[in-house]
Amino acid sequence: MHDKNFMRETLLQGAQAFQAGKMERRSFLALCGIAGFASASVLAGKAEAAASEIVMWNWGGQSEECHQSAIGVAFTKDTGIPLKFDTSGPLQGKIKEMVDSGHVTADVCDADLFDAVALGKTGHLEALDYSVIDKTKTVDGYALEFGISIILYGYAFMYDTQAYPDGAPASWADFFDTAKFPGQRSLYKWANGSLEAALMADGVEKDKLYPLDIDRAIKKITAIKADTIYWGSGSEAHDMIVNGEVSMGMVWQNRGRSIETETNGRYKLVMNQALAMPGAYIVPKGNPGGADVMKFIATAQSVPAQLDLFACLGMTPTNPEAIAQMAEVDQPYSITSAANMPMIALNDPTWWGENTDAAVNAFLAAIS
Amino acid sequence: MRLPIKSGWLLVLPFLLLVGGLFLGPILNVLWISVTDPAPGFGNYAQLGSSDTLRRILWTTLRVCVICTAFSVILGYSIAYAMVHATGPAQSRMVGLLLISFWISVLVRTFSWLMLLGRNGVVNSGLEALGIITAPIAFMRNELGVLIGMVHYMVPYAVLPIFAAMQSIDARVVQASRSLGGSGAQTFWRIYLPLTKPGVVAASLVVFIINLGFYVIPAVLGGGKVLMVAEYISVQVLITLQWGTAAMLAAILLFGVLALMFIMSRFMKLSTVFGGART
Repeated sequence: MHDKNFMRETLLQGAQAFQAGKMERRSFLALCGIAGFASASVLAGKAEAAASEIVMWNWGGQSEECHQSAIGVAFTKDTGIPLKFDTSGPLQGKIKEMVDSGHVTADVCDADLFDAVALGKTGHLEALDYSVIDKTKTVDGYALEFGISIILYGYAFMYDTQAYPDGAPASWADFFDTAKFPGQRSLYKWANGSLEAALMADGVEKDKLYPLDIDRAIKKITAIKADTIYWGSGSEAHDMIVNGEVSMGMVWQNRGRSIETETNGRYKLVMNQALAMPGAYIVPKGNPGGADVMKFIATAQSVPAQLDLFACLGMTPTNPEAIAQMAEVDQPYSITSAANMPMIALNDPTWWGENTDAAVNAFLAAIS
Repeated sequence: MRLPIKSGWLLVLPFLLLVGGLFLGPILNVLWISVTDPAPGFGNYAQLGSSDTLRRILWTTLRVCVICTAFSVILGYSIAYAMVHATGPAQSRMVGLLLISFWISVLVRTFSWLMLLGRNGVVNSGLEALGIITAPIAFMRNELGVLIGMVHYMVPYAVLPIFAAMQSIDARVVQASRSLGGSGAQTFWRIYLPLTKPGVVAASLVVFIINLGFYVIPAVLGGGKVLMVAEYISVQVLITLQWGTAAMLAAILLFGVLALMFIMSRFMKLSTVFGGART
């Protein structure tokens, strides 16, 4: 990301210098050549013309092409504004650092709703414009002042059907029961989802999880520590299961279907007691694209965009109309389908927004 | 006009100031954050006394780094010894192989180790097929895996300073020792090894300092259970936004390394480590 950014700025400053007569034409062309850029496209209009685009900050992998095909194409057709990507992953610290430095390069971040709570409080985000974005096109309670949930992802677990031929594990209580279901397990190493799973395994009702009793969850997690390994990224979780390192693995639920196909059905996804996480679009304060980003978010809420994101990335839609239109065969893998909704627990972004540091540090202290 | 300093320094001074400023600026910024975030004072440093977690993480880091340095230097010494005593094309081949290993990315190495020594990896499957073991040996996703991965990564860094030191030893010194009646073992322990001391010290310093900052290998090969300082700092900066704690830990690492070099300078002339003369 930094390389592209640096080159873009170098070119913009070169263009300004050239127009002001401070740089020779040959030097400017050489600069454009080095940056691999056609000089015409840099000079077109004013040097500031590059600001009329929307930059989405997401997580790389397939998300770039999926967001482009699901939202970008329709958005560009409607408004004429192109969609660009920064795939370095918008973690809270990076967003805070970017806004603090005063040099904001992203318009919308594909982050979590608890980021909206935490960063909104400290003034690092723009408030969303709900005259453009529709509050009703998402799950109840997931349209907040500084962020709105566009998709849901979730934590669920997969188990090895060959390891447990008679009696498959069906809930987090089974996941945390090493006596009845021996074998290695994997959990998410940054507390999110793992704490809720431990509490549900300890008998807490899925609707009464929040505020989380961190100590109780930590006790449960420490109990199976000897049999657990921890992952930090989706691909690590994927590898641990596909390479047979664990008999039961917590995963991000949207990867469930691909793992099932890759292992020829040997590993099955359990959606019971899955924890639904609201993925949210948030806007860093002082974003370069201005108010156009609100139209982008509104486009992301449309039914075709929602269904496309599900087909491409496996991320569950939040728009009730899109949920209603989902195909039969996809429903088991969608958190918000009629069959799954009664079984899942919904994450509380406000609690996480306020307590991330305590929860994550307590978890790390317990597992290390 | 006689200047109090050599005129050469005046030419270099602007550049020196620029580099010094750009280098020291961010370091001073981090030190500043460590005493001002979230509240001014030494509260972050006081956490070292009160927080069990921080002490444990620092201890884990120290322990893993010391063990890794020891094994890397020992293995590096053997490899350098073999390289010095090889001749011509054989030596060039060895140097070539060593350099190629530098160019392998850390992620490729990490996943290769997982594939070799993982639960269903080549080694475990082979041993199980031969009937030698019934359950897979846990090489990976624990501290052993981290040590294997780190030593593998650091051995080339250890070889080079030791190789350079060994090359400067006159072969006739060894012959003189033998001709005066010293056995092979005596010659090695009393003559050869002390002569290579600057190289060994340089290698240990380099390997230890690089080890302190290791992130990827412990994160992946440790299965999340071997939490080292670098990863913890990263989590505090990116996820929990406790920048004061992160800056404090980074400062501790910096002071630790400086203290280490100070202690070593008490025992030997440190400039020999960086290529200076022995006397």
